[in-house]
Amino acid sequence: MDPAFWTALLLSFQVALLASLLLLLLGVPLAWVLAFRAFPGKVLVESLFLLPLVLPPTVLGFYLLLFLGSDGPLFRLLGVSLAFRFEGLVLASLVFSLPFALSAYREAFLALDPNLLEVARTLGAPRARILARVVLPLVWPGLLSGTLLAFAKILGEFGVLLMVGGSIPGKTQVVSVYLYDLVQALRFAEAIRASLILLALSFLLILGVRLLERRWRTWRSTTG
Amino acid sequence: MADLEVHYRLRWPIALEARFQIRGFTALLGESGVGKTTLLKALCGLIPAEGTPYSGLPPEKRPVGYLPQDLALFPHMTALENVAFPLSGRGKGEALALLERVGLLEHAHKRPQALSGGQRQRVALARALARKPELLLLDEPTSALDPVTKGRVLGELVDLLRREGLPALAVSHDPLLAGMADWLVVLGRGRVLQEGPPEEVLSAPASVEVARLLGYENLFPARVVPGGVEAGGVFLRLPLPPWAREGQGAWLGVRAAEVIVVREDRPPPEENVLEGLLERFYPEGLAFRGVFRGALTLEVLLPRHVQERLGLAAGRTVRVVLKPRYLHLMPG
Repeated sequence: MDPAFWTALLLSFQVALLASLLLLLLGVPLAWVLAFRAFPGKVLVESLFLLPLVLPPTVLGFYLLLFLGSDGPLFRLLGVSLAFRFEGLVLASLVFSLPFALSAYREAFLALDPNLLEVARTLGAPRARILARVVLPLVWPGLLSGTLLAFAKILGEFGVLLMVGGSIPGKTQVVSVYLYDLVQALRFAEAIRASLILLALSFLLILGVRLLERRWRTWRSTTG
Repeated sequence: MADLEVHYRLRWPIALEARFQIRGFTALLGESGVGKTTLLKALCGLIPAEGTPYSGLPPEKRPVGYLPQDLALFPHMTALENVAFPLSGRGKGEALALLERVGLLEHAHKRPQALSGGQRQRVALARALARKPELLLLDEPTSALDPVTKGRVLGELVDLLRREGLPALAVSHDPLLAGMADWLVVLGRGRVLQEGPPEEVLSAPASVEVARLLGYENLFPARVVPGGVEAGGVFLRLPLPPWAREGQGAWLGVRAAEVIVVREDRPPPEENVLEGLLERFYPEGLAFRGVFRGALTLEVLLPRHVQERLGLAAGRTVRVVLKPRYLHLMPG
C-alpha cells in the first residue's frame, strides 16, 4: 500500500476520534435537554440541529469555509482561520455528524423508564448515585452506538471535508479525499485496495452498532 | 401499628382534596382516573401538593417506601443489588438480611426478568424496606400478579407487612384487596367518599357511587314508604335507616349473590317475593349467573348446588326473595 494511504487513514481516524469525543461531551447534555425539557422555540432548535442531514454536503462545506476562513467572522473575532487545518476538519465533522448522534442519544434517553428515576429518588438516592448507577448503565449502549454511528459517518464524509480542508497530503487529505485523488489520477489498482479496506472497516463499525443495539433492546424489554 | 392521618390538597394534574386515616394495611379503592396514583405520587413528593404528612419535603427526604404499579425494579441489577441500592455502600449484609425477611435469599443473584410477578413484588418490597420507611405506598399491587395466584400472593404480602408492623396504603380498583384490608377508604371524584373497617363499608356503602365501586350488581331508585320502600311498583319491607323520611327518593342496593331463589317445595316466605322469568342463565366458573326479569330486573348469582336442586335454566319462571337484611338503602 502507498504510505500516503495510511497517512490519510490515520488522519481520518484522528479527526473522527476527536470529533466523536467532543460529540459525547456536547451532544449528550444537549440530547438530555431536547429529550426532557420544554422551552419556547424547541422545534426550531431541533430543526436547526437536524439541518445538516438534508443540506447538500457542498453547501454545508461552503458555509463552513466562509465561516472559518480568513475573511470569516471567526477570523475577525479571534484572529484565527481554521480553514484548511486539522481543527477545521474536526469542527466541520462535529457539525455534520451532530444530527446522527443527537437522534441516537435522544432515543436512548427517551427509552429510559421515568418510573425508575422516580423510584430511585423515593429510595433516598442522591442525584449523582442515580446518574451513575441507574441512568448511565441503562443508556450507555445507546450513547455508544450513536457515537459509533457518528464516527463511521465522519470516517466516510467527503464533500464537507473537501470544502473545508481541501486536499493537503499529511495535513487535511482525509482518506475519502485521498481515494478521490487516486481515481482522478487513474490509479485504479490502489483505489480498489483502499476501497476494500474502507469497506471492511465500515462493516465492522456498523456490526458493532447493531450488536450494541441488540444488547440494549434486551435490557429495555425487561423493564416492564 | 401507628395510625396516620392524611390530609392532602392537589391542584395538578387532578384537583383533589383527600382526608382519611391509614390504619394498618389500608386499601384505597377508586375508579380509574379519580387520581389514586396521583395521590400516591404526591405522598412520595413526586407531584406537588399541600398537606400533612411530609408536605414540602423532597422525595429523597420522605420516610416512605413506594412500589409503583410496574414495581420499577432496576433491570440491569440483581435482586441483591436492587435491595442494596438505597443502602449506599454499607449494606450487602443488610440487603441479604432483607431478602431473607421476604423469603428470597436463594434468588438474590437473579435479575428481575428471571423472577415471577410475586417474587418481583417482594424484591421491590425489600428494596423499599431498606430505607426504613414509616409508611409503605403500593400502586395496584394485584395488577402485576397472575390471576390464579394473586389472592395467595397478596395474602402473603399483607401478612408480611403485618409482621413488619408497617402501615401501608394500597390503591386499587380490585375489590379483592378491600376484603384483606384492615381499613378501607373509597375515593371518588375530587374527594374521599367513605372510610371505615372493610366489613362495615362493604355491607353498608354510604352512597350509590360507593356501592357501584364495591361491586353491588343491583342498584335501583326507590321511594321511602312506611315500613320499607317502593321500587319498580312493588313494596319491599326493610328496616329503615334513621335518615329515611317518608316520600323521600333513595337508592336500593342488593348483591347478586344475596338474591335468593325460592324453593317451591318449602312453605313460601311472606314478604319481598317477586315472580318473574329467568331470562338469561349461564355458568360462571362453578357458579351460575343470570338475569331475573320481574317487577324488578335483578342480576342473580347462585352456587351450583342451588342450580342443581332447583333444576334452573334460562326461560324458567321462578320466584325470588329479597331478604330485608340483605337490602341496603342509600340516600338518593
